Amino acid sequence: MVATTPGAPAVRTRRRADDGAMTVGRSRAGTIAANTTGIVFGILMLFPIYWVLNTSLKPADEVLALDPTLWPHHPTLTNYLSAFKAPLFLQDMLNGLVITLLAVAGALVVGFLAALAIARFKFYGRRAIILVVLAVQLVPFIALLIPLFLMLQSVSLTNSLIGVSITYLVLILPYTVWTLRGFISVIPRELDEAALIDGCSRGQVFWRIILPLTGPGLVATSVYGFIQAWNEFIIINTLNSPAKQNLMAWLLQNQTTRGTAWGPLMAGAIITSIPVVIFFLIIQRNIATGLTAGAVKG
Amino acid sequence: MSVVESPTTRRTGGSTPHRAPGRARRTRRNRQTTGLPWLLSLPALILLAGLLGYPLVRMVVLSFQNMRLRELLSGRTPPWVGFDNYTKVLSDAEFWRVVGRTFAFTAVTVVVSVLVGLGIALLMRRVTRGVRLFMIVAMMFVWAMPQLVAAQIFRWITDSDFGVINYFIDKLPGVDYQNHSWFVNPWQGWSVITTLVVWAGIPFLAITLNAGLTQVPKELVEAATVDGASGWQTLRNITLPILKPLLIIVTTLSVIWDFGLFTQNWVLRDGHPEPQFQTLATYSYTQAFGQSRYSLGSAISVITVLLMLGVMAFYIRQMFRIGEVE
Repeated sequence: MVATTPGAPAVRTRRRADDGAMTVGRSRAGTIAANTTGIVFGILMLFPIYWVLNTSLKPADEVLALDPTLWPHHPTLTNYLSAFKAPLFLQDMLNGLVITLLAVAGALVVGFLAALAIARFKFYGRRAIILVVLAVQLVPFIALLIPLFLMLQSVSLTNSLIGVSITYLVLILPYTVWTLRGFISVIPRELDEAALIDGCSRGQVFWRIILPLTGPGLVATSVYGFIQAWNEFIIINTLNSPAKQNLMAWLLQNQTTRGTAWGPLMAGAIITSIPVVIFFLIIQRNIATGLTAGAVKG
Repeated sequence: MSVVESPTTRRTGGSTPHRAPGRARRTRRNRQTTGLPWLLSLPALILLAGLLGYPLVRMVVLSFQNMRLRELLSGRTPPWVGFDNYTKVLSDAEFWRVVGRTFAFTAVTVVVSVLVGLGIALLMRRVTRGVRLFMIVAMMFVWAMPQLVAAQIFRWITDSDFGVINYFIDKLPGVDYQNHSWFVNPWQGWSVITTLVVWAGIPFLAITLNAGLTQVPKELVEAATVDGASGWQTLRNITLPILKPLLIIVTTLSVIWDFGLFTQNWVLRDGHPEPQFQTLATYSYTQAFGQSRYSLGSAISVITVLLMLGVMAFYIRQMFRIGEVE
């Protein structure tokens, strides 16, 4: 593997215990090689994203130049303007916001109640509920798309924002329950007990202790839900017509009509990604731990 | 909300890993508290049952019917056809090619991404602080990219006329890659798709595994080194065994995700993947919504879910075992 240079003598001079990094086998040359690899890796990872940014800021003739330049020689915002002016862009942006917020708010309320039950009560069927919550996270939603489509159509909820909102709510619900469960169960039970002894009712315990202490968890969970719902496009593209879709579906539609206008498309991609990227960077810590549950804590 | 003063709820479980108290007492109390938690879970359960459970059942039912566009428009109950859809699907050579391709893609992609992820995680322990920060930031941006946007990005950089990848490769001496199309040869096309999936998957894998590596006790590694273990031996005999539970979880997750590949081949092939770029997910979708063969598509979906069931059950078992989900 990359990080272990076999044969390199173990230098145990222990200069500055490099915040937890392994102190084994670090020779000067090895460190330089590792650093170089790390930097090259980072650049390779970032390159596609940089290239989109680069494209989106170029005027049309530079976008389609046969010798693409590493940076825009005449940077311009025309692509962004034409994305905003493109048909349905603003409409779909608004749709996306409405759908996402409805789904997240709903999932938060419903999910919090269920999480409370799993985290704070021992009852018959608890394990079964946990099993259901874990299992449905793995059901490939695309497989369910056909019956879902038929079902929503029979109650006239296709081509409506409500139908998609409910679907997205269910889509993010399992993760919401699971993550909130984690946040609630770390609140020491002694706090509940102390409050109860001091004369609080169960309801007061909920409003004054559990809810405020789960605040950060609620934020993290809803942000993750926002990302999931905002990024979804397969369901909405199947259920709704373009005027009732979101920005992701807009990005998808945009490619199929009359060739691709790469500049505006890339500008649109950037605009669509901005909220997600910002939100993601805020809560990134919680995402990994949510997916791997107790495995990290071990 | 209804306030039920149940004295039991404050003590049950209360941070005691081993529940010892009298058995009889516990069962009585359990019965007492069953109502409220079920009431709290009810809305979630109803929603899951209605929009996941019911469609799941409906999918199975549909696969035994013959639902075409006519039935969809008229709203009539589609005729029952027994196992017809299944025999049709299972006797179709095209279907088996899709199955084989999906498995092969999953195997290759999972192995490559987990190995690269592990390599990067180990590399992160070796580099100096600034470089590590740079690597994390770079990976965070990649991780944050919506799947669709990532796919569009790759569609653009591998574009045959103006793609920057062709431009770079063309620069190599003696190579003519002008107007080279990456999707004429399926092997090349699939390398692009695999690269995209690996690229997008590395951040989760590397960052999670790196977090796992911080759990490896330094003393153990040092002791091994003092005893004369080589770097490779330390990795094999100390680091990897400790990392194993986490490795299993991330590998299982990767299998589940990669097996369900849809977005990447869908977008890179402009929403109309050619036969050689179909996976189970896109194949089922194309049959259902492209050809209005809803029942046939459902049968393929049922088979897909059955194929994944083992892996999913394994994942859940691991979650219960390692996560100690009480």
